[in-house]
Amino acid sequence: MNDDDLWLDALLDDELDAAASLALQRRLAGEPALQRRLDERRALRDVVRTQATRHAAPDELRAKLLAMLPPRGDTAAGAAADASATPRTPANPRASLERRGARAGAWRRRVLPWATGLGGALLASVLTLALVAPGAPGWHRGEAIADLQTAEASEAVSAHTRALLVEHPIEVASSDQHTVRPWLSARLNFVPPVTDFAPQGYPLVGARRDVLSGETAAALVYRHGAHVISVFVRPVDPSATRAAEATRVVRGFNVIERTQGGLAFCFVSDANPHELAALADLVAPPTGS
Amino acid sequence: MQDDGQGRFAASVLPHLDAAYNLARWLVRDGHDAQDVVQDALVRALRHFDGFRGGDPRPWLLAIVRNAAFAWLGSRRTGEVDFADHEHELDAVLAMDAPPADPESLAIRRAERQEIDAAIAALPIAFREAVVLRELEELSYRDIARITDVPIGTVMSRLSRARHLLAAALRPEAARNLT
Repeated sequence: MNDDDLWLDALLDDELDAAASLALQRRLAGEPALQRRLDERRALRDVVRTQATRHAAPDELRAKLLAMLPPRGDTAAGAAADASATPRTPANPRASLERRGARAGAWRRRVLPWATGLGGALLASVLTLALVAPGAPGWHRGEAIADLQTAEASEAVSAHTRALLVEHPIEVASSDQHTVRPWLSARLNFVPPVTDFAPQGYPLVGARRDVLSGETAAALVYRHGAHVISVFVRPVDPSATRAAEATRVVRGFNVIERTQGGLAFCFVSDANPHELAALADLVAPPTGS
Repeated sequence: MQDDGQGRFAASVLPHLDAAYNLARWLVRDGHDAQDVVQDALVRALRHFDGFRGGDPRPWLLAIVRNAAFAWLGSRRTGEVDFADHEHELDAVLAMDAPPADPESLAIRRAERQEIDAAIAALPIAFREAVVLRELEELSYRDIARITDVPIGTVMSRLSRARHLLAAALRPEAARNLT
């Protein structure tokens, strides 16, 4: 337990800025013991992440959330429960059911005055929608979409930094678009645009598959000077409402998201926003729509 | 869907119900109690939603869940919440335990889900919450600092110590004897 561990952990956790990360990488190259320690910490991290239980909220809890509806809105509440296929009574009643029934009562008493004041039926519909349909058609609230896309951007940054840290960020290493494109199209159910932009200063380095929002995405890797740029491409439901363009900074990385022609593009890099935007315009030229 | 407050609450908070439950479950270490804690937290979240000024709702919600869990633990006098007072004592204990030089990585890889869960559950609560928020919820140091209401430096040292304890707990006796 010493300061080195703090640095190694911060490196593993993607919390070092580029300069600190580079300094530590240099030390690692010259200190096998330190490198071994990093490998140990990474092994531990990986095993905890893959093996530890992430407890999912039980259906019972979701059902209790529906139970916060006012009693006189029972028809609406019943319909809501049916629609969401969430059991209103625990599927597996136990001895403590009575005790929990009393708790649900307390919950209802605490929330009721509040909920009634704002219209229980309305709340019912909102809750039902939120419980059954995040990401599904009908999920068209602007804030929700913004939140979802923020989460996607954050995921893209994690994928990008993960790729920088591991030894093999690229599954197919080639600057030849005629190699990369068939490789991707053989492994994905869509065909992303793949072009080498070396003449414009953005040589294609290769590609890999990655997972964003639970879906397989193509990750194209470009280089621009000393910067590595990840371009994540995946198909999106054309009827779903998405912001056509969003630019943000996530944990120090610049992120540009662009939705075009049924594909969602996400550009991630520590390159400056103008350099990143230049590649975005090459890969997915704005249609002016 | 005309009511913005309602829609915004549902849209912001409910997608994070699993994260909320997971944190509560790891903090109070009981499924039914965790449900109570999450319900309590959502009542508070609903009540204070006006104070939420946008941004990422997950750390905001998890901070409320965490407070609800600590209130629950405090009301039961489990002694866990007094941890902060003893943190420096643990520090001294850890300082005596020399860093392992064995091939920890190979030993750890074989650990089973049950062992990992037990090792995490056995961590002091401040370490446990740091590990759960970092490894299971994959939150940044900054978000963890916000949720647990400590400086980022404290988050870093807690995480580091937690990992040290986990590594020691998961190392089989055989490997330990090699050192």
